[in-house]
Amino acid sequence: MKMMELAWLNVKSSIRSYLSLVLSLAFTILIFYNFQNIIYADTFAVLGSQNKDYIDIIIQVISFVLGCFMFFFLWYATNVFLTRRKREIGVYVFMGLSNQRIGTLYMIETTLTGLSALILGLFTGILSGTLFQMIFAVISEYEVTVGFGFEIKPVLVTAAVYLVMYLFFALKGYIEIVRSSVLEMISAARRNEYVRQRAGLLLAKALLGVGVLGAGYYLAVRKGGMEVLTNALTAVILVVAGTYLLFGGLIPLLFQNLARNKIWLYQRQRSLWVNQMIFRMKKNYRTYAMVSVLMLCAVTALATGFAMRQRYRNMVKFDGTFPFQLISDRDDLDARARELITSQNVITASSGAEVLTMDGSQVTASESYNWYILIAYPEFVSMAEEAGMEVDLPEPAEGEVAAASHLVMLSLLTDQSNVRIQICGEEYRQIADSTTPYLGYLQKEMSVYVVSQTDYERLLPLGEKRYVYNYRIGDTGAFAQTKEALDRLQDEYPDSWIGRIAVDPDSTELAWTRVIYTICLFLFLVFVLAGGCIMFMKLYNDAFEEKARYLVLKKLGFSRRTLKKSVAAELRVSYLLPFLVMAVSSYFSVHALENVMFEHLNGIRMISVLVTLAVFLVCYFLSVPVYLKNAGIDAGA
Amino acid sequence: MEEHKVVEVRNLVKNYGSKDFLTKVLKGIDLTIYEHDFIAVMGPSGSGKTTLLNILSTIDTPTQGTVMIDGRDLSRVSNQELSKLRRDKIGFVFQDYNLLDTMTLEDNIALPLSLNGASAKLCMQKTEQLALMFGLKDHLEKYPYQLSGGQKQRGATCRALITDPKIIFADEPTGALDSKSSRDLLECLKAVSEGGRATILMVTHDPFSASYAKDVYILKDGLIQCRISRGESRKEFYDRIVDVQTSMGGDFT
Repeated sequence: MKMMELAWLNVKSSIRSYLSLVLSLAFTILIFYNFQNIIYADTFAVLGSQNKDYIDIIIQVISFVLGCFMFFFLWYATNVFLTRRKREIGVYVFMGLSNQRIGTLYMIETTLTGLSALILGLFTGILSGTLFQMIFAVISEYEVTVGFGFEIKPVLVTAAVYLVMYLFFALKGYIEIVRSSVLEMISAARRNEYVRQRAGLLLAKALLGVGVLGAGYYLAVRKGGMEVLTNALTAVILVVAGTYLLFGGLIPLLFQNLARNKIWLYQRQRSLWVNQMIFRMKKNYRTYAMVSVLMLCAVTALATGFAMRQRYRNMVKFDGTFPFQLISDRDDLDARARELITSQNVITASSGAEVLTMDGSQVTASESYNWYILIAYPEFVSMAEEAGMEVDLPEPAEGEVAAASHLVMLSLLTDQSNVRIQICGEEYRQIADSTTPYLGYLQKEMSVYVVSQTDYERLLPLGEKRYVYNYRIGDTGAFAQTKEALDRLQDEYPDSWIGRIAVDPDSTELAWTRVIYTICLFLFLVFVLAGGCIMFMKLYNDAFEEKARYLVLKKLGFSRRTLKKSVAAELRVSYLLPFLVMAVSSYFSVHALENVMFEHLNGIRMISVLVTLAVFLVCYFLSVPVYLKNAGIDAGA
Repeated sequence: MEEHKVVEVRNLVKNYGSKDFLTKVLKGIDLTIYEHDFIAVMGPSGSGKTTLLNILSTIDTPTQGTVMIDGRDLSRVSNQELSKLRRDKIGFVFQDYNLLDTMTLEDNIALPLSLNGASAKLCMQKTEQLALMFGLKDHLEKYPYQLSGGQKQRGATCRALITDPKIIFADEPTGALDSKSSRDLLECLKAVSEGGRATILMVTHDPFSASYAKDVYILKDGLIQCRISRGESRKEFYDRIVDVQTSMGGDFT
């Protein structure tokens, strides 16, 4: 029989174990392809080239993340698969096949599996491509028409990325087989770990894990300046490493100590499942850690998405507070401006104030602007009250300022305490910061500081006195006509300095940010599903290895009910452990996100943690009957 | 006072296959086991030893006849009750020990009792007591892979005894042991029986093992051919078993 035929027979005979591998690989290809497809399809070009460019950059970044995810997923899946197959492969040794030939057999089999997964993934990807773009556009609130189309480039890119990774792991498996001994191959699937691990080593790992994780948490939530980025990256590495050490050290140590306490252990089915957990821990801790990290990524991704959307909405609202604003050296423009606006529209709110403008060279602050606006506190209060806004800035004393700043997507400057600025060589202490749009869009274009009346008067000769007029309109549909009418003002006062600001409510300037929300939502789903699938796959495989043990217990007369209870408890804890570690870590990761995005995300965190819990519960309820069947507790296996 | 019957088998028949291809394995067995008996069942291959053990231990059902365990007719109890009966009244010792490799010997021994809902204190107390009796006190912390075959089988016997079952079914318990370990185990079983702690039914092909029992039943072609009872000397008992075995012929392994 030729190697090819033998490989084909193998694939056919163990189709069930191949199927889970092919389906999981096809799933990752499908996801990767769909994101690539968005880059190459011209669907989002209608949003303007700048938005399209931004979206493409974001998707490229996400593709990189997904590529990494694919790499690790391939690593995991091929590894589990190789271990399961090794024993079967080992039988060929007795048939006189050399390691090289067995390796070749494995290569042919994996190539067949890999290609099937690629074809299946691309085929479903191409079929679902349009649907994916539509969902993408709907969630991102883009009004674009998605047509049926086919691009060859995303297919080629996906195939190339996948094949390179897949061949790498196939080759790794080949080398492993060629180098392994006969005994190793035969005992690969039954390689039982020593039940109890050395307490000293576990303790060291546990202490290191807690320390590393704690350091990661601390760095994640620590406020600061530009170092926040480095802190965040270090925190990610520390939390991942800490999670691995926690599952490799603290949790087995905890279980081992619990098992020593017989008063606790000899209750109900504990003796059975706790010992089982300890026995499996050495092999399974990496999976628990990986799933925990994946879930953490999922929750953080969703929180980021929601925060971005919230931010986007607030930013649009901020910019549109006063669609029309005037800034001039004249203090008598209000009546005429109102006349011109009301000829086309209705004014729903308005305000005005006298301010002092200074150019960039006169003021030194952490963020530099071309122009700065200073406003006296009493004038500021009357302007806010005129527009019906609540004043949320305290009155600054002499030598103090209160900043009226604007919303940003995210800021690494998370520490807002002890901020000092210099105005014309004098230092002022910033006592408060508010993002209420008292001056609307102007507040975004210029840096606005509220100062005491005394300071204002003292600084008056050093800057230029200006008058600001803010108008909110009732009919955004008549924006263009209103703008046209208001533009006449400049012609009417040719000798005066008049600046006009018009903020189009239908502007697509920030449209690209909405894509982040959609991508985060998809990433959340991908990570949560992948985490659930990995746990499910792991337990599915474990159940086969438990068959002999449950057979003994059945022979000893233990009822199905007792064994089911024990299995249920074991699976519950298996799902619960990574979930709990994730839930704790997510508090810190989302808190770090809150720091840079200045949003309250605890509610979102709770929701995403609950969604993850729901996915885990579904996986758990699916796992129990499958486990009972695979372990031979229920008839049919 | 009349002795308490633990097992009572009347006219037990077991057939396998359909009408056209019927194999009669047990052809009408009558057997009574009293409390604290130590019975050995011997017989050549295919004589029906395993079938008899399976039916007595409720794993298989008879075609005809009645089997009573501790006064309860097995054909009249529900599946759930059977499971409970197996759990509470029967203890098992297998040839290949069947200890769980995931737990220590102590946890293995205590397992049936703790799963039955006994208090942890009682589990610990009884485990210690049995371990002491079977010479396993110093091995309780060890895992099965750290124990010898004899230690494992003694551990398995402790596990069978911990729930104070009405009867222990031992299927070739010395089958995988060397002669020294076999002797140790059999001495323990004998002591347990004589000490009034358990009733034992042991299936074996080995006359030496059988000679530790009080009575030996020889099974052949689905019927009990004879019963040999021990006298004063075990050596003499052993010789008699071997004689009967030789006279009956057949492969007793």
